[in-house]
Amino acid sequence: METLALIETLDRDGLPRQILRVSQWPVRIGRAIDCDLVLDDPHVAAHHATLEMHEDGLHVRPAASLNGVRLGRAAIAPGSAPLLPASALLTLGATTLRVRQAGEALAPEQRLLDLHQYERRHAVTLLLLLVFAALWKGFDLWLTSMPGQQGSALAWGYLAAPAGLIVWCAGWAIGSMLFQRRFAFWAHLYIALTWLMAGAVVEAVTAQLAFAFSMPALEKLGRIAFVGAMAVMIWRHMGLLLPQRRRAFGIAIASALVVGGGLLLIDRAVQQQPLVGDLYLGTISLPGLRVARPVPVDAFVKSAAPLEKTLSRWTKTGDDDEGESDGGEDE
Amino acid sequence: MLLNCLVRQPGRLLAALLLGGAALSAWAGATPSTARPSLAPTSPLVKPPAAASAPQQEDEHDDSANLSASARRIYDVGRPRLLQVRTLLRDQDSQASVGSGSLVGPNGLILTNYHVVSQVALEPQRYRLNFQTVDGVSGALQLIAFDVVHDLALVRMAQPPATVAARGTFDFRPQATPLAQGERIFSLGNPLDIGFEVIEGTYNGLVERSFLPQILFSGALNPGMSGGPVLDDRGRIVGVNVATRRDGQNISFLVPAEFAQALIARGANARPITGSVEAEMARQLLVHQQALTTRFIALPWRETKHAHYSVPVPQEDFMRCWGSSNPSESKGLSFERSDCQMDTAIFINESLRTGDIAVRHEVYDGSKLGALRFAQEAGMSFRNERMGRRTHDLTAPKCQEDFVENAGLPMRTVMCLRAYRHLPGLYDVAVLSQSVDAKTEGVQGRFDARGVSFQNALLLASHYLQGFAWKRSP
Repeated sequence: METLALIETLDRDGLPRQILRVSQWPVRIGRAIDCDLVLDDPHVAAHHATLEMHEDGLHVRPAASLNGVRLGRAAIAPGSAPLLPASALLTLGATTLRVRQAGEALAPEQRLLDLHQYERRHAVTLLLLLVFAALWKGFDLWLTSMPGQQGSALAWGYLAAPAGLIVWCAGWAIGSMLFQRRFAFWAHLYIALTWLMAGAVVEAVTAQLAFAFSMPALEKLGRIAFVGAMAVMIWRHMGLLLPQRRRAFGIAIASALVVGGGLLLIDRAVQQQPLVGDLYLGTISLPGLRVARPVPVDAFVKSAAPLEKTLSRWTKTGDDDEGESDGGEDE
Repeated sequence: MLLNCLVRQPGRLLAALLLGGAALSAWAGATPSTARPSLAPTSPLVKPPAAASAPQQEDEHDDSANLSASARRIYDVGRPRLLQVRTLLRDQDSQASVGSGSLVGPNGLILTNYHVVSQVALEPQRYRLNFQTVDGVSGALQLIAFDVVHDLALVRMAQPPATVAARGTFDFRPQATPLAQGERIFSLGNPLDIGFEVIEGTYNGLVERSFLPQILFSGALNPGMSGGPVLDDRGRIVGVNVATRRDGQNISFLVPAEFAQALIARGANARPITGSVEAEMARQLLVHQQALTTRFIALPWRETKHAHYSVPVPQEDFMRCWGSSNPSESKGLSFERSDCQMDTAIFINESLRTGDIAVRHEVYDGSKLGALRFAQEAGMSFRNERMGRRTHDLTAPKCQEDFVENAGLPMRTVMCLRAYRHLPGLYDVAVLSQSVDAKTEGVQGRFDARGVSFQNALLLASHYLQGFAWKRSP
């Protein structure tokens, strides 16, 4: 017999629990056993609704019931019998049905998120990333230490970062365990390292460029890029948990960045601080890296003249009952 | 450690003003000004110094008796003209701070410190002034004139009691007869609100290398005595109590009487100040900063001994420089540091001092570190500098930065300015400069001037940066 449609009863996760092959119309749905589709749901009437084939297509006609029928999210008005779109979702009582009709266009096949495969594919890159991160961190520690400093003191510095990274990735892996039934530690480590290193490298390079060309704005751009890299990292972590929700996660993270960033900018503007980064560029680099030509003292001092206007504007803004006195000066 | 404390001194931060603080108000406020049973208000206002004549007889017999006899005579002379100046909350009798004052003119004209009345001057909507005499007479005071630079103020009794004329006024010692170092002088006041005192001490001339003249008084001044008169052995004012050094003993400072006389000459007949004092305060500070800038820029920088760098280090005409360095066996960055500051800063309010200059630098030798680590260390030190944040009194800093070259020395230079929010035309300027010519050595300098005009801020910054130079190897 030809299959005209499938009516799937869906569970809470949206997976079919019970499937009815339809070979003739109409189909009566309800709790009574003389129905074509019998639903064991106390919120469903004995005869709750009927699916009828008309010339223009399949319609749903609700019968008299307490809870009614919803098509998608909209409740169907009593007495009407709307046309069903492709793969329509119907809610009767507490039960959700999906009606798939023969000849519907199918969504393309989706790639399976095979975490095992994912980890194998990125194994070599991950190894390289690990080596790179270890060298990067080691160089950083060497740079900020003094000759002859205690090795044990350095060890703590060296261990803190990997320990933090392990905790971070293990947390996400537990998330994967929850949603994907797999403790995908290496997959999350790959994501974390990729974006952490990308952020760190961009930040370091822009700071050096800002010094070389005397362009503090470059360093500020680097800081924005770092925040962006961290946002992408979190988005990728989340995408590994629930791949089908990537779009929603993207929107959520972008909104959080816009709202949080906006509030931060407003706060900094009120405090008369630079919107991004520090008051001035703090990078001092090798003399050979300097490209920008120095200006004479007079030209430099003259270039500060416009500050007067900004400061005069600042004296007039803000309320009086805030702010505490300054501390002393540091080295 | 103790030796360290006695040998080294980190400068002006330890000069404490002699204002009785809020800590006192808890119990002092509980005893209303009129409830002083020991001082009957009916006692004679002007106590004739007759009693002093008897002890004077003993002078020839015993020197120690002479000392205390003089003090007693001075106190007897000063007693009716001595007052406590109290800052009270506008709507209740709790005192916010206490100082002292002296009657110096008709109709209850009183001389005290600006910092004693600063709360009333700046926030008249929150505070009011009151006086109390030794014999318990009290009443309201009005601010009529101030000299913020020398920390002096004139106040007047709002309703002078009929008996005020009988109290007489203090005279000033003529400037034609200056005191000699070592002469005994007597400070009067009400320390810590516990009662009026007379304190003997020694006149030790003017404080050396102080931009604003101050008398060095070797005697124990305490909070609450601010604004009290200091008298010579004939009871004439020679100075006004103002500050003491917390890290020393019996090292106290007085405002010389000439500034008080000048203020009385121009302000004695002024009307009470009812509006904002900020415009007048800014005017006085602008006069001061002009004098300071002119004098500072006229001085050439000192010769520095470094092999490669000339660094701007100020003459010690009105500044004090302290040097330090880290141990030579250090395996990391070795540095030498010089820190020059002025002793005097002008008090505006509890959280704002201004009108001074500070210059410091560090010379680094990073040969044990190598180029990369040296650059890292220099950068750390460069970015750690504090430029301040927005406060009640000052805007946030706004900076200009670039590579600057002077006399063959390229530097990374930042100049930050802050404006005074309530004192129009005044700015703080900080210039931070780090040499970027060499791989493993360098110099980092910082210049600070507080309370200068915008033009003078630029002038001083320019003067400072031109003090850097690269020395050609001999």
